[in-house]
Amino acid sequence: MRGFLRNTIGVLSSVALMGAALPASAQEKTGNKPGFTLAPGSARIVLMRPSIKVGEQSTGGLFEPNADWTAQSRDNLNHAIAAMQGQLGNSVFDIVEPAGADAAALAEYQALFATIADSVIVYQFFPGNRLPTKKRKGQFSWTMGSGVASLPGLAGADYALFVTTEDQFGSTGRKVAQVFAALAFGVSVPTGVHKGFAGLVDVKTGDLVWLNADLQMGGDVRTDEGAQKRVTQLFEGFPGRPVVLAAAPAGAGK
Amino acid sequence: MIRWLRLAGLLAAMMATPSIAAPLPPLPTFTPAYEPTGVDERGMWMEADEAERQMRDSALVMRDPALNAYVRSVLCRTVGDDRCRSVRIYIQHLPYFNATMYPNGMMTVWSGLLLRVRDEAELAAVLGHEFAHFEKRHTLDGFKRARGAGDLLMWTSMVSPTVYSAMAVSTIGSLFAFSRAQEQEADLLGLAYLTASPYPAASAANIWDRIMAEEDATAAGRKRKSTARRYSAGFFASHPTDVVRATYLRETALKTNDPGDPAAVAFRTALAPWMPTFLADQIKLNDFGGSDYLLGQLATDGWTPDLLYARAELYRLRGNPRDLMSAAQLYREAIDKGLADPEAERGMGLALLRSQQPEPGKAALRRYLERKPGAQDATMIATLIAQ
Repeated sequence: MRGFLRNTIGVLSSVALMGAALPASAQEKTGNKPGFTLAPGSARIVLMRPSIKVGEQSTGGLFEPNADWTAQSRDNLNHAIAAMQGQLGNSVFDIVEPAGADAAALAEYQALFATIADSVIVYQFFPGNRLPTKKRKGQFSWTMGSGVASLPGLAGADYALFVTTEDQFGSTGRKVAQVFAALAFGVSVPTGVHKGFAGLVDVKTGDLVWLNADLQMGGDVRTDEGAQKRVTQLFEGFPGRPVVLAAAPAGAGK
Repeated sequence: MIRWLRLAGLLAAMMATPSIAAPLPPLPTFTPAYEPTGVDERGMWMEADEAERQMRDSALVMRDPALNAYVRSVLCRTVGDDRCRSVRIYIQHLPYFNATMYPNGMMTVWSGLLLRVRDEAELAAVLGHEFAHFEKRHTLDGFKRARGAGDLLMWTSMVSPTVYSAMAVSTIGSLFAFSRAQEQEADLLGLAYLTASPYPAASAANIWDRIMAEEDATAAGRKRKSTARRYSAGFFASHPTDVVRATYLRETALKTNDPGDPAAVAFRTALAPWMPTFLADQIKLNDFGGSDYLLGQLATDGWTPDLLYARAELYRLRGNPRDLMSAAQLYREAIDKGLADPEAERGMGLALLRSQQPEPGKAALRRYLERKPGAQDATMIATLIAQ
């Protein structure tokens, strides 16, 4: 973005991106509000417009957005989610996006959800990072507030489902640099970013009842099979799924 | 190979200092309904499209149809109807001096900018600069530059730590120098649009004189040294300094000899309904020096009731005993000149109460409650009157 007086996102971001992200190894992946159960066939779930971002990671670590991959992945993921919907044990509908002032209200809550999900990942899923108020065992207490109930597009819904994925495939240069650094210096250059999360919010109370987040996800979302694998991983631990399907192939690695 | 050549070119292009008397660039050939080409550009546009979805639904965007149509009409008069059709403008309610451009044709104009420019020609200069970023596809070039620099540093860090430490600073510095060069290019192409428009080209430099003076006033009010009039840009500066921009804009505009009507009256008329809002935003910035300067500038043609009220609020909020006396006087003048808003009575009453004039103060507060019985703070004000 080019500003008249200042560029708010400067060229510096490209340099900053060369650093490493949070260590993904010590991460918990799923949180459930204690005592929350979702009986199959009892709820109407609205799926918000998924946030999907796909591109390449340059040698220096800069994200290079790719419009074709993103469009392809959006299609693939939408199909995979639609196929999964029958297996979630409850009816899932796509949100009908409102217009005008209603759209503004909905946009604010989508931004709020993204902030809360980030907070859960940083301050709850990493045990060493946990806030003092989140340290009690088995606790999962996060909410968006009761305002969710009056949001347009969610009338008559019991739950709202949020899905976000981001994929940065390592470019050839990045992979070569990775191998070279490992062989020559024994230094690890992380290649590629594949992260995603899915969350379920109780529309009546605004409480976050389930969140599944993974900073190292499998499945190449640019392909049909990969998108199915990704969606399977995204919905791991989804409450109220029929027991048989909970044992569906849970992907490990990529 | 091509990339390596480009990386080598990076080193050569480092730290090119912009010259002052720049020739006015010719207007680029206009491409109607331009579509992005190539992986990088289409990726940039996709990200901008996502950002625009959020901008469209943002609570910060001012939706007033008249205001939007007006700002749009100024852009269209500046760059022409064809070019203007490729842009969507979002007026953001942000009390700072800025405007931004995205690669897909989304332009944002901040409300603080509308408070600071004083005629259509000055607004046109800013909008033309932003449009130049779009037409010259600066985001894409900046992205490629940044990627090239990152790749270069990645490899040099592995080849030789000595070379890396020698190159890192200059490579990163070259990115900012490149950004400054793009900003200068946008300034000059913006000036070319302005020259081709009905507005006078000389207006572009005038903005910067007042922006620097406002920065000086802000710094003085905060008892700091002003950095507004530096000539050389800092290492991390994304734009040339204000002095440099004012100088080359003025010198280039002088050469073009481009007279015209800056349309100050039309601008004031169109913005009049929004002045109380924008002034109230400015007062809340806790910037006494800058705000007082800005009000003085806005009052060049005389103090309107709105400006007097804003200045009264500014003094009352700083709250020294002498400020409260000035504030009470300013509220009085605003009311005498016909300010309709009963808030002036409230401000005057509070200022007088704290200036050891309880009876006139209570009288003003009573008048406030009479005219605005349902005010949010009615109970509190009534308590003050009863004391």
